[in-house]
Amino acid sequence: MITGTGVSGGIGIGRIRIVKEQKIVYERRRIRDTEKEIQRLRSAVGSFVKVTEELAEKLESEAGQKEAEIIRGHILIMKDPVLTDEIEKLIKGGECAESAVEQICNMFISVFSAREDELTKQRASDLEDLKIRMIKHLIGLDETVLSSLPPDTIICAKELTPSMTAGMDKKNVVGFITEKGGETSHCAIIARALEIPAVLGANGIMQLAKNGQTAVLDGISGKIVLSPDGDTLFEYEEKKKRFDEKAELLKNYRGKPTEDSDGRQYSILCNVGNSQDVDKVISGDGEGIGLFRTEFMFMDRKAPPSEEEQFEVYRAAALKMQGRPVVIRTLDIGGDKDVPYLEIKEEDNPFLGVRAVRYCMKHPEILKEQLRAILRASAYGDVKILVPMIADLSELMFVKKMTAEAEKELEAEGIDFCRNIDIGVMIETPSACVIADLLARESDFFSIGTNDLIQYTMAADRGNSDVSYLYSVFKPSVLRSVMHIIRAAKRAGIPVEMCGEAAANRLMTPLLLSFGLDKFSVSPSSVLSIRKEISSYTKDQADKIREAVMEMTASEEIITYLKSELDKYADD
Amino acid sequence: MVKHKIVVVNPEGLHLRPAGVFAQEMDKFECDVFIRFKGTKVNGKSLLSILAACIKCGSEIDIECDGPDELEAIAKAVELIENRFEGV
Repeated sequence: MITGTGVSGGIGIGRIRIVKEQKIVYERRRIRDTEKEIQRLRSAVGSFVKVTEELAEKLESEAGQKEAEIIRGHILIMKDPVLTDEIEKLIKGGECAESAVEQICNMFISVFSAREDELTKQRASDLEDLKIRMIKHLIGLDETVLSSLPPDTIICAKELTPSMTAGMDKKNVVGFITEKGGETSHCAIIARALEIPAVLGANGIMQLAKNGQTAVLDGISGKIVLSPDGDTLFEYEEKKKRFDEKAELLKNYRGKPTEDSDGRQYSILCNVGNSQDVDKVISGDGEGIGLFRTEFMFMDRKAPPSEEEQFEVYRAAALKMQGRPVVIRTLDIGGDKDVPYLEIKEEDNPFLGVRAVRYCMKHPEILKEQLRAILRASAYGDVKILVPMIADLSELMFVKKMTAEAEKELEAEGIDFCRNIDIGVMIETPSACVIADLLARESDFFSIGTNDLIQYTMAADRGNSDVSYLYSVFKPSVLRSVMHIIRAAKRAGIPVEMCGEAAANRLMTPLLLSFGLDKFSVSPSSVLSIRKEISSYTKDQADKIREAVMEMTASEEIITYLKSELDKYADD
Repeated sequence: MVKHKIVVVNPEGLHLRPAGVFAQEMDKFECDVFIRFKGTKVNGKSLLSILAACIKCGSEIDIECDGPDELEAIAKAVELIENRFEGV
C-alpha cells in the first residue's frame, strides 16, 4: 500500500493508465534571418493561443469557468509583453525560437520556484507546461494526448499539467494519482471540480504501478492499493457506495441557509488556525470564522510576530470573509502549548497555571500589540475579539481596558478601526460557567470551548487514559453546564456560539438546538453535515430529546439514547 | 508622475486572473505603470512581473503611472482593484 495526500474525496476503483511526458528534442541552431525566425515565433504563438482557447472552452463545459481560467492563464502569460520582448531579443541575437522560449521561460520558472508562497510556486509549473506546449507548437508536435480512454481509467503520472488534463477524455477517468503536487495544484483543483477522487504526492507510484493493473484509491485518506485482493476490493466497493450516497445528499445543503425543520435560523462558522485554513472556510461553505486560533502564528519561531505581520493576516481573513464574522481569539498559550521565546515558567500544574489570558495579563505589551492588530483589521470586515480561559470578571475587565487603550492610541495616530468592536468571553472553566450571568453583563457574546470545559469540570486530564472514562461531553454535569451557559446568554440577550469538538458531534445537535445555541463553529469539512443535521429537527422534537436526556444519570445511557434518536431522524 | 496607495481587497490577491486583467488593462495606456510592493518595483503591464511580486489579499501596494495619460491610467488601476476585478 502507498499513501499520498488525498486532495479530492471519494473512492476510485479501476485500471491504471501510466502517463509519461513526451520527450522533446530540437536542434539548437544559429539564426541568420532573424526577422523570419521572429515571424515563425509569432505564428506559433498564434496557433498556441487558438488551441489553448479551444482547450479552455472544452474544460469550461466540463468543469466550469473557474477551472478553465487556469488554462486561459497560458494565453494571458503568452500575451505578456515582457515575455515576448525578451524572447524576441534572444532571437535577434541569433538564437532559434525554441531555444529562446526555453531560456526565457526557465528564467521566470526559477524566479517563481524561489518564492515561499504556495500559489506563486504553482505558477512555476504552469510556466513549465506553457514552455513545453509552446516548443511543441514550434516544432509541429501534436499536443493532444489521452483524448480517448477506456472506462474506469485511473490516470497515474509524475505530474499532471493543465494541458494534459484539458485534452483528456475525463468522463472515463475514475481517479488521479501523481507523484508531485498538493492541495492547491492544478490537478487537485480540476479533480475537485469534476468530483474525481485524487491522491497526489504518492512517492514511488511510477515505479510500482503498471499499465492495466487494477487499483483502488481513497481520495480522503490518501491510500492507494495496487492489485487489491478480493476482500480489499469488496471493502472499497462498499466504501465507494457509502461515500457517493453521502456526497449526493450533502450537495443539497451547499449554499443553503442553516435552519431547523421549523425554519429557525442558525449559523455554522469555522475554526481556523492559519491563513490556508481561511480558504477552506470558503470551499467548505462556512458562514464565517467562529474561532481564529492565533497561537499557531506565535509557534515555531524565535520572536513574536509584529503588529504589522499580525495585522496583515487578520486583515486578509476579514477581507476574504467579505463581511461575514471573523472571531479572533487572543493568544491562548501555556498549558500544553509551549513557546520557548515567551519564557513561560515551568510549572507543576501547567493547565492550572499561567496560560492564555493569565499570560497576557503578565505580558500586557504582547496583548496590546495583538489587540491593535485586531482593531486595525476590524476596519476591513466584521471582526470580533474572543478572550480565552476567563475564570474571573477582573480578567475580562483587564482586556476591555487594554482594548480601550489600544483604541485611544490608534485614534491619536489617525489609524482606521471599527469603533465598539464586539468582545466575547470563551466559557471553558467551571468558574466562568457559574458566573455566566455576571460575565454576560460585560460581554458582547459567549463562545463555549467544550474541550477545556469538560477537562476542568470533570477534573480529568484528557490525555490520561486512566481517567478517560470521565472525559465526555455527555456527562450530566457537563451537559448541565452547557445548558446553564446558553441560558445565561439568552437571559442577557447576547448571542452564544460553541467552538469545541462537541459542536460538530451529531449526537449533540438536538441538545444544542433545544438549549438555544445560536452558532456552531466547526472544522470546514463538517459544515455541510451539521447543516443537514440541524435541518432534520423541529424545536418540539429537539426539546423532547433534551427533556429525556436531562433525566438520565449516566453518560452511557445518554449516548445509547441519542444514537437511537439519531437513527430515527437521520436519513442516512 | 502620479502615485496612489491602495490595499488589494479581492480574496485571491494579485494572482493569475486578476493580475492578467490588470496587466492587459494597463497595457492599453501609453504611460509607464509600476507597482511598488515591499521594496520591489515591478512593471504593471507585465503579468509575470506582477505574479513574481506575490501580492496577496490584504497587501498594501503603491501604484505609479508616468506618461501622457497617467491620470486616466491610475484611475483605471484603482477602479480595477477596488471593484475586485469584477465586471471586466
